[in-house]
Amino acid sequence: MVLLLGLIAVVAVFALARTFVPARTVPVGAALGAVMVALVAYDHQELASLEFWSGLIGFVAIMSALLVVIHPNPMVSVLFLILNLFCIALFFLILNAQFLAVIQVIIYAGAIMVLFVFVVMLLNLKAEEGLRLGGGPQRSGAVVLGVAFAALMFYAIRNRGAAPYFEPESFDSGFGTARGIGRLLFTRYQFAFEAASILLIAAMIGAVVLAKRKLR
Amino acid sequence: MDTAIVRVLLESTVKIALFFFVMLTVVAYMTWVERRVSAWIQDRRGPNRVGPLGLLQPLADGIKFLFKEEVTPPHVYLPVYLLAPMLIFVPALVTFSVVPIGPSLDLLGHRIALQIADVDNGILIVLAFSSMGVYGVALAGWSSNNKYSLMGGLRSSAQLISYELAMGIAIVGVLMATGSLRLSDVVEHQIQNGWNVLYQLPGFLVFLTAAFAETNRMPFDLPEAETELVAGYHTEYSGMRFSMFYMAEYANMVTASALVVTLYLGGYHVPGLARLGLPETAAAIVQVLAFCAKVAFFLFLYVWVRWTVPRFRYDQLMNLGWKGLLPIGLANVLWVSFLVLKGWA
Repeated sequence: MVLLLGLIAVVAVFALARTFVPARTVPVGAALGAVMVALVAYDHQELASLEFWSGLIGFVAIMSALLVVIHPNPMVSVLFLILNLFCIALFFLILNAQFLAVIQVIIYAGAIMVLFVFVVMLLNLKAEEGLRLGGGPQRSGAVVLGVAFAALMFYAIRNRGAAPYFEPESFDSGFGTARGIGRLLFTRYQFAFEAASILLIAAMIGAVVLAKRKLR
Repeated sequence: MDTAIVRVLLESTVKIALFFFVMLTVVAYMTWVERRVSAWIQDRRGPNRVGPLGLLQPLADGIKFLFKEEVTPPHVYLPVYLLAPMLIFVPALVTFSVVPIGPSLDLLGHRIALQIADVDNGILIVLAFSSMGVYGVALAGWSSNNKYSLMGGLRSSAQLISYELAMGIAIVGVLMATGSLRLSDVVEHQIQNGWNVLYQLPGFLVFLTAAFAETNRMPFDLPEAETELVAGYHTEYSGMRFSMFYMAEYANMVTASALVVTLYLGGYHVPGLARLGLPETAAAIVQVLAFCAKVAFFLFLYVWVRWTVPRFRYDQLMNLGWKGLLPIGLANVLWVSFLVLKGWA
């Protein structure tokens, strides 16, 4: 944990230095880089642990998700959302779901986010000036819901049950491959699979009808 | 760390370094080939002054790019402007890492696969990283804050979305025939059952066309279209940053050619080689050379097409993608499923 927390602290100090003393960014950055190297040298065993990597990826995921909301420039927000989706793909990879990880990158980072980039470029969105805050009811609603969500998360983490039942003999290490997922989709979850495909077809036909209404 | 991990790390590092060196050399010499072949097609002489036949020209170009001033226009959005050339160059190189360039062979007492990473989801990784390539072009166009660059970026994102789909559908045919996402299995299947191009010619043609579009080459080079958009998305780049785009174009061509060869032309397979009874290492060398020759043919095809075929108009491009390639790709999927059902492929 020393290495992970140390690295996070270094990043936080660097962000503060960039905000408050921008002229000193280079020397501060060099000093913090030296601190990073010293941290790695001090606790290099932790580099091989799963906790370290999942913690690091989680940190990057949360930071990028925050920046999606905070950053005034819409294109930069889109880029941070891509970074966030990559982190989630890495989580899938850690959980031995390689197929889901690659599909996450192809569908979300590769296809859907390209459409986002396309729309931002097409509308030529400009950066917002300052943070835009919503009106009274929106702000109080956000505070109430945020506190409720934090309480819920806190409760869930405090009262988490034992680790899921795990039986090494019957464990199938191939559950995350294309074969494993395909088998599940076409047997156990076939109804959900077919229902989702019908829903998608309906949405597609609906979009075509709406777009072509004026041409008729 | 135990020795097995060290060995794997060492082996991969050597392979990556070797691959990087070969790739950059090929990329450098492709710029020479491009200019010599274009000169030949247009009945000119081409670069022939630096070294014999102009062979040292890429070196001279490299030195020129390194020493040129890098102009950063004042109106660009700097972080993204600096990120874009890297975003286009990296996926082109990463994709190649899953392509097998030869069979595995015994070397110094170890079994070594001539492939950087033999991953389970090889083809999907190819698709994932080829779809990452569009960000480089689109973001370069956007961050330049120049209307021509923006047009280039917009065109490229629309073009790549359309052609990625056709490419994916074409690959589905290969996947169905092979029954595996691993690229070494794809090659192995073709060695056993004959090259895929024999069974799924339409899929091959769709993939080849989509590969041309994905690399932004003539006749699909609308994102840069120098006659309409100055130079499109890389108008505002100079020096080494411009050369990143330039090298990425050729790196993408090499990767796309290697993929066409691996998916449809049997990869490193040489028909009838097994009957000669060569020693394993000699056979492996012949197979690697065969792979290089096949890739070289497609690289030549890229250059040949560029100097022969005029550029598409934008609506023609979209029509070809959605109304031409996609239905042909779907028909190919039906045809291959028929073959698989009959047990012929």
